[in-house]
Amino acid sequence: MVFASIVFLYYYLPLVLIAYFFAPHRAKNTVLLLASLFFYFYGEPVYLILMLIAAYSAYRHGLYIDKFRGRKYARLLLVSSLVVSIGLLVFFKYADFLLANINVLFNTNFARLNLVQPIGISFYTFQILSYTIEVYRDQVKVQKSFAKFLLYVSFFPQLIAGPIVRYTTVAADLESRTHSWVGFAGGVRRFIIGLAKKVLLANVLGELCSSFKMSDEKSVLFFWLYALAFTLQIYFDFSGYSDMAIGMGKFFGFRFPENFNYPYIAKSITEFWRRWHISLSTWFRDFLYIPLGGNRVSTPRWLFNVLVVWLATGLWHGAAWNFVVWGLAFACLLVLEKYFLRSFLSKLPPFLVHFYVIFCVMLSFFIFNAESINDALSSLQAMLGLAGLPLCSTETLYYLQSYAVVISAAVVGSTPLPKLAAEKLKSIKHGRLLINLAEPVVLTALLLIVTAYLVDGSFNPFLYFRF
Amino acid sequence: MNDTIKNKVVTLAFLLVLVGLFLLNLISPPQAISFSERRKLQQFPAFSFAKLVNRKWFKEFERYSLDQFFGREQLRQLKAVTVFHLFRQKDNNGIYFLNGHLFKMEYPLREQSVIKAAQKFNNIAQTYLQGMNVFYAIIPDKNYFAAAPNGYPALDYRRLVELMQQNIEKMQYIDLFSCLSLSDYYRTDLHWRQECLQPVVAQLAHSIGLPPTVAEVEYTTVVKYPFYGAYFGQAALPLAPEELIYLTNAAIEDAVVYYYDNKEYGKVYAAEKFGQIDSYDLFLSGAVALLTIENPQAHTDRELIIFRDSYGSSLAPLLLAGYRKITLVDLRYLAANKLGEFIEFKNQDVLFLYNTLILNHSEMLS
Repeated sequence: MVFASIVFLYYYLPLVLIAYFFAPHRAKNTVLLLASLFFYFYGEPVYLILMLIAAYSAYRHGLYIDKFRGRKYARLLLVSSLVVSIGLLVFFKYADFLLANINVLFNTNFARLNLVQPIGISFYTFQILSYTIEVYRDQVKVQKSFAKFLLYVSFFPQLIAGPIVRYTTVAADLESRTHSWVGFAGGVRRFIIGLAKKVLLANVLGELCSSFKMSDEKSVLFFWLYALAFTLQIYFDFSGYSDMAIGMGKFFGFRFPENFNYPYIAKSITEFWRRWHISLSTWFRDFLYIPLGGNRVSTPRWLFNVLVVWLATGLWHGAAWNFVVWGLAFACLLVLEKYFLRSFLSKLPPFLVHFYVIFCVMLSFFIFNAESINDALSSLQAMLGLAGLPLCSTETLYYLQSYAVVISAAVVGSTPLPKLAAEKLKSIKHGRLLINLAEPVVLTALLLIVTAYLVDGSFNPFLYFRF
Repeated sequence: MNDTIKNKVVTLAFLLVLVGLFLLNLISPPQAISFSERRKLQQFPAFSFAKLVNRKWFKEFERYSLDQFFGREQLRQLKAVTVFHLFRQKDNNGIYFLNGHLFKMEYPLREQSVIKAAQKFNNIAQTYLQGMNVFYAIIPDKNYFAAAPNGYPALDYRRLVELMQQNIEKMQYIDLFSCLSLSDYYRTDLHWRQECLQPVVAQLAHSIGLPPTVAEVEYTTVVKYPFYGAYFGQAALPLAPEELIYLTNAAIEDAVVYYYDNKEYGKVYAAEKFGQIDSYDLFLSGAVALLTIENPQAHTDRELIIFRDSYGSSLAPLLLAGYRKITLVDLRYLAANKLGEFIEFKNQDVLFLYNTLILNHSEMLS
């Protein structure tokens, strides 16, 4: 079940909200747990068992690690827990990729398993890993209740698309949390904005991307238009989902971490990754990069650490070589920035620095979204006018005109300008009153328009659904 | 309004929309058909454990929730208005609005499809129509008159005609492009208007060798209202319906139609079809695989076979003055290799009459 669907918005969510707020205080976690298990069952009936096994394994390992704390068994138990969690992830997500590469490397003929990847396995596995590692490090108190631990793993707002919530972030909220008008209204605001980002911008830009892919009349300009549209689509798609997750967390009194901070205003790739998918990059920083030694090591070792982290980041996004290349491309850019580009970029006018970041990100998403490495290379060739395509075509101009407003809205929406404008308005006389009057109207109108789009259309993919 | 009140209003408005629509969806009786989209709507799915485990029940429920959503038509209209007026997009689900007309975008030209259509016609001609007078004509879809001049992607119509001419064998081409203009089509539908077809009839009569009087026959007009075309429902825009006009006279009233599908006799104009799921079905009862129109008042023994799509339904009655019998074959519903079982091919005139949309999707022809 995706959040931006009629079933979720007008059947599942109202029922969960009613059941949650009418349930007695001590039954609220049970309501959320049952709702979350049903949510997962709805998407993957069979793989619910897999998630339960993964969660139970981590839960038991956590208990034993705590029990044997300070003894050598604790380390063994941590390793055992990691093997189970990562093993399940590797088996269900990477088995076919590994087999295909083994067949190529060793000229073998292992049959593919053709497993359907369980929804959200990358997200919940990383949450589980963070829990067991933090319990081992004694950074968090072990959870004695399996129900509460399972709720942490399976909580539906962040189950399928993150943000990757550390156990430490929600440990206190799992035990006790407060509900307030201000909290719920903040959640509504965040949820509807996320929903609008997803349905009104990401999905519409996705239609443009689909039109590009189906087009027989491509041009150089059309390739650039597609690159821009996909770059915006993936941001609004993913950040929209994160907004919805954070908003729904607030409905139920949970505080989730931010996952995006206007990544497209970054002035370097290093900064971009501090603003993009923050919960993933901080996860890799804390649980892989720093344990490997971080940057307090020799230069060759640091290069190795960066390579490992970005190889893992690439592979986390998908079991294919284009994701590996995508991750390694960022590793190269980060190294280049650290040793060569930083001083050069600091001397450039801001718009050129910005262009550099957007250009690199756009190209990276071309690789990200390519069906193969060859596909990515031929697309890059076409973008640079080396594929013998015309500069423009009737079809390109049509789509440029047709999507001009949506693209403009998306470009402005990817910057802090709307937020700054609202803050500026608040500071003038009667500005706050105006905003307070307009906000409920605008939010309700957005919800109805989103509903209209969902009722009318069936085009509603989610790019991060299988991660 | 202070922040506290605003927070309460935001929360209550959200819950009101969510819970309100949830309850309205629960209590609203399900609709069987969407007239605007011309299709049956998904009903509440029957439950079984197997369907639950393989997700089939959930998928059916998702379709049900979309199809039976409270205020669905109004919401679709809200979406269309948002697309056209807020986001200034040029089309909504491929439908665009221009010069008072609704159009459905059709592009690019699928050359192989056009070639296959020509080959299909050749095969039929070779199998059944040896030594007969065989003609073919192409009906331009509405986009021909408006798409390209207004910057909308469109078929390369010149190339389409060229491909047909290059690949069709031993048939005479009749040009209808020059006989038609945008005003000859309904504003909210893809079809042409029967009352505007006199130049088309004259061109066909002249090319086939019918007396010129065929195009000069007098008719009385019957006006039916309101007519909501196929694009009306798809566009979901707040537009006015239009009039559907049909032409009749004593010969047409006396004509007897035989429908092979249900082995029944009927009239040329099926008035009872107007106001049903597709009002254009008034002409010869709409989509029918095979039918004949017998003209008891004919002063000739000539017969005509038309291989046609729905455009042919409104044209055929106007050719009745030149024939004793007209046979209409829709290759979308009747396989070419079965034709001999139903039609006795002798010395009839034969006309292949298809619109450009069908030629560009000739996989529909069986």
